[in-house]
Amino acid sequence: MMKFAPYFAYAKKCFLGRSAYRFDHLMNIMSTCLQIFIFWGIYRALYGGNTEVDGITLPMVATNFVLSMGLGAVFSVNDYFFPDKIHDGSIATELLRPISVPGRMIAENAGNALFNLIFRFAPALILVVLTIGISAPAGLGMFTVFLLSAMLGYGVLWVISFTVQMAAFWFVNVWSITTIKNVFVNVLSGSMIPLWFMPEWMVGVLRFTPFSSIYFTPVQIYLGQLTWQEAGLKCAVQAVWILLIYLAGDFLWKKGQKKLVVQGG
Amino acid sequence: MRDVIHLAGVYTKITAKSWFQYRVDAVLRSLAVFLRESTGVIVIYFTLLKFDDLNGWNTHELLFLYSLLFLTYGIMIIFFTGLRDFGNTVRSGNFDRFILRPRGLLFQLIFANADWFAAVGHGGLGLVLFLVSAGKVGVTWNLETAVYYLVAVAGGVLIQGAVFLFLATLNIYLFETRSLKELLYYNMRKFAGYPISIFHKAVQFIIIYIMPFAFVNYFPAQYLLRKEDMAGYPQAFLYLTPVVGIGMYLLAYLFWRYSVRYYKSSGN
Repeated sequence: MMKFAPYFAYAKKCFLGRSAYRFDHLMNIMSTCLQIFIFWGIYRALYGGNTEVDGITLPMVATNFVLSMGLGAVFSVNDYFFPDKIHDGSIATELLRPISVPGRMIAENAGNALFNLIFRFAPALILVVLTIGISAPAGLGMFTVFLLSAMLGYGVLWVISFTVQMAAFWFVNVWSITTIKNVFVNVLSGSMIPLWFMPEWMVGVLRFTPFSSIYFTPVQIYLGQLTWQEAGLKCAVQAVWILLIYLAGDFLWKKGQKKLVVQGG
Repeated sequence: MRDVIHLAGVYTKITAKSWFQYRVDAVLRSLAVFLRESTGVIVIYFTLLKFDDLNGWNTHELLFLYSLLFLTYGIMIIFFTGLRDFGNTVRSGNFDRFILRPRGLLFQLIFANADWFAAVGHGGLGLVLFLVSAGKVGVTWNLETAVYYLVAVAGGVLIQGAVFLFLATLNIYLFETRSLKELLYYNMRKFAGYPISIFHKAVQFIIIYIMPFAFVNYFPAQYLLRKEDMAGYPQAFLYLTPVVGIGMYLLAYLFWRYSVRYYKSSGN
């Protein structure tokens, strides 16, 4: 039986630690809103007078941006959790503790995510709903599935980061790899260009990648674009991605520990 | 004067050497910056495969608009890295060392460091976008347009340099200005990648009069492309880029000169 108390403490510490930087915080909210406003401005101009393009209305596009960028603001993943610890050698003390290190990362990120949800997503959402408006969810049942799918989306984002971070065992500097990973996530997850408008061949390629599982699946469910059956299937796909990528990451994590050499002491 | 040029040359050689000490890493980092900044470009490209134009601007014209933004930043950061990181220099007390040296402070700050990864990443992207788009946007490249273009780039470099100098000077009075720079500069720059006419009037006001990115890329691009949405702005704006650049830089420089006298070290 695993004990949850230490993980809960890590999560709480992170949550409270975040409350200290108020100005930074305000800037983050602004930055999320500005990003949404930019894309809203672009799509309003792109639509011109049209009410819909390919069956997609402007409010649906707005909802896609608000949800994916809003969730993006909530989904806190520390891309440098492992690289920092491997770089300065503190990974050694982490490994001696009777807790799982990835478990600690989950706990810390979850604490952050909760903070972001309450103090970043909520204010940004209110501001955005008041100014540009978004579609209502497709019923209470679907909204529940959306919540589940959003959490799975966070899981996919997390395992991708976890796996990429393992590169730190083999390379001194992982900043470049991490940055390139984030370019892929930003472009292909649909948070900057709704995947409805991606060229057909690109959608075909995307079907074999985990990126659309992060934000686009929850958005589609929220908008009621999927039947119950399809929604269930998509959630299962999300879960499979989490499992597959996690297994790859865990493999590297075990392998990395074997070759780990910490200098000095 | 010759001595100054010589010193600038030595400084440049040293910074380039130290940034490119680890070659593979340097190439990877420049590539990462290049790709990170391409995100917006890739998004525009895919979006316009579906929609034909953005308020009358086609893909190549939008890439041309973007190219000015990156090219000017790439050039600017070669000179102004020292000012971008000036907050750290002040907090760590390193600025005191600069003061003791027998050369101008601004001279040292400008030449003693250069973020070559950012320069290659941003500048390279700007150059690629320019080469891709310049032949396809219907501009006749002759002496007049070429001179206009070069002057506009120089003006754009000065405008952004002035903002960095101004924000750096604020560090003498305030402890932390990073968030302010984030808000004023980096967030506003995200708007400047697109024709500003598509945005709310308040955003346009900020981007013309307060953080004048419009003079870095929108108005210079308009002079060369003459899109219809220029009708909403005074024609004179097409020619103001160098004036805004020199004016802003002079103001920022005076502010700097005035403030440096009041510098108090953070050390003991």
